Amino acid sequence: MEKPLLKSICLRLTYKVLFRPVLKFFVGVQYPDCSFLKDEKQFVIIANHNSHLDTLSLLTSLPGEILWKVKPVAAEDYFGNTKLKAKLSNFFINTLLINRHSKREDGANYSMNRMLKAIDDGYSLILFPEGSRGEPEQMSKMKSGIARLLVQKPGLKYVPVFMTGMGTSLPKGGVLILPYNATLHFGKPTLPESDDPHTIMDQIEKDFGAMVEKYGIKDDDDDE
Amino acid sequence: MMTFLSKLFPSQSNEVILMISIILVTLLIASVALFFTKKAFPEKNLKEIENRTKSWWIMIIVFICAIFINNLASYICLGILSFFAFRELYSVLHFRQSDRSALLLAFLAIPIQYTLAYIKWYGGYIIFIPVIMFLILPPILVIKQDTHRITKSMAQLQWTLMLSVFGLSHLAFLLSMPDLEGFSSGGRGLLLFLVFLTEINDIMQFMWGKTFGKHKILPNVSPNKTWEGFVGGVISTTIIGYFIGFLTPLSTPQVIFTSALIAVFGFAGDVVLSAIKRDKGIKDMSDTIPGHGGIFDRIDSLSFTAPAFFHLMYFLVYPPFQPFEIIWKNLF
Repeated sequence: MEKPLLKSICLRLTYKVLFRPVLKFFVGVQYPDCSFLKDEKQFVIIANHNSHLDTLSLLTSLPGEILWKVKPVAAEDYFGNTKLKAKLSNFFINTLLINRHSKREDGANYSMNRMLKAIDDGYSLILFPEGSRGEPEQMSKMKSGIARLLVQKPGLKYVPVFMTGMGTSLPKGGVLILPYNATLHFGKPTLPESDDPHTIMDQIEKDFGAMVEKYGIKDDDDDE
Repeated sequence: MMTFLSKLFPSQSNEVILMISIILVTLLIASVALFFTKKAFPEKNLKEIENRTKSWWIMIIVFICAIFINNLASYICLGILSFFAFRELYSVLHFRQSDRSALLLAFLAIPIQYTLAYIKWYGGYIIFIPVIMFLILPPILVIKQDTHRITKSMAQLQWTLMLSVFGLSHLAFLLSMPDLEGFSSGGRGLLLFLVFLTEINDIMQFMWGKTFGKHKILPNVSPNKTWEGFVGGVISTTIIGYFIGFLTPLSTPQVIFTSALIAVFGFAGDVVLSAIKRDKGIKDMSDTIPGHGGIFDRIDSLSFTAPAFFHLMYFLVYPPFQPFEIIWKNLF
């Protein structure tokens, strides 16, 4: 796969030069070191989803040289409902648009097939298996699409990323960004331990459970 | 070096230039010492001290540029410091989702407070957060009609604002103090005295505790703090304060008292923030400054010493504000 030079430069400028300082100094997002992702050929980032800031923070945290080959998976009905919006989001967010209501019969347009094609093309993906943005600091049930994807691509590693505070800073339906020390926590790139979607789902949920336990913002009011 | 610095900061007095030189030379010696220690003991892990020293360089250079280059820039930089501090402190304190609008309003208080300091309106500046915000923020919280744990939000919000905005803005108002006859360093000299002594006090308490520490002073709050560190820190800070008293217009007994007060309040700020971290189960407030932790891990003492020092100065050396004779007369 050839590196699209213009797009790569454009993405690096947008995220590393423009957005990252704003997110770091104004919003207060705390970035961990994730340069280890440079050593991975291909991966799927799995993250919890509470805010529009999620995708932005994830993209700004990635090493600049791999930005062009990481595609956030986004809903077509939201980010691609007009031609212009689809073009823009493809160029500036590098999105992979999927139709959330597509069925297996749709062939190449079936969301799973679109993701598989992107992986065959050599792209890495960012997926939010919870589907849509949930309540701040609460994780809803993850959908099993990610497990079915991993089953079909043996050898593909997943990277769990747990984010806290994004929903506090900009919740669903919020208009103004509240500066808040939101944090990204990167897990290790992991191979699925089995080829059964249910077992893979359990494995992913266990990874997230451990991160929620370790980094999650606990409601400390309930012990009175 | 001093001639270079006086060219760089032409409006500053000789005393201030001398103090900046002392700070830079001290840091240079520390860095050189660290460099040779690393060469002599390559097997020792000095990564954290190295990070700390590097961060010290950055912090001191940013501080000097912020305070001594341009007057307006000083206020803006101190305002940004308050912004970082407020964001960091409220981030660890668990506010409710329904507190968002009050929090946004509290952020808005930061530029207002620093503008009041900039235009030297002491009356407005001193009541804005303790009175006006105190009366505005709770009703904003109430409008949301979510009363569950609202008391906690009211208390925490005001306290956070007091510590990170009201307290720190005293650094800015030091710059707004009127010139005194026969005292050329002015508010900047006082600011330099306060910040240097507060940070030296942190370092002294740490070093005395590390070297001679035996008897724990507050074992359930901060297990590393000892009586030896506290007493040694207060004594050495007072001695150092005596020697850099040339930055202030104070008499010798006044300098000694002020320095000791800075040392004690510095310790108080340190342990108050330690107690909060312990309550929240975190080691550092955030990861903004490599090797140090968050903003508040560095300025915890300063958020207490700044108002304490300011109001002592206000009482001792600025009679135009508060004629001492009148207080005396009213008392008897």
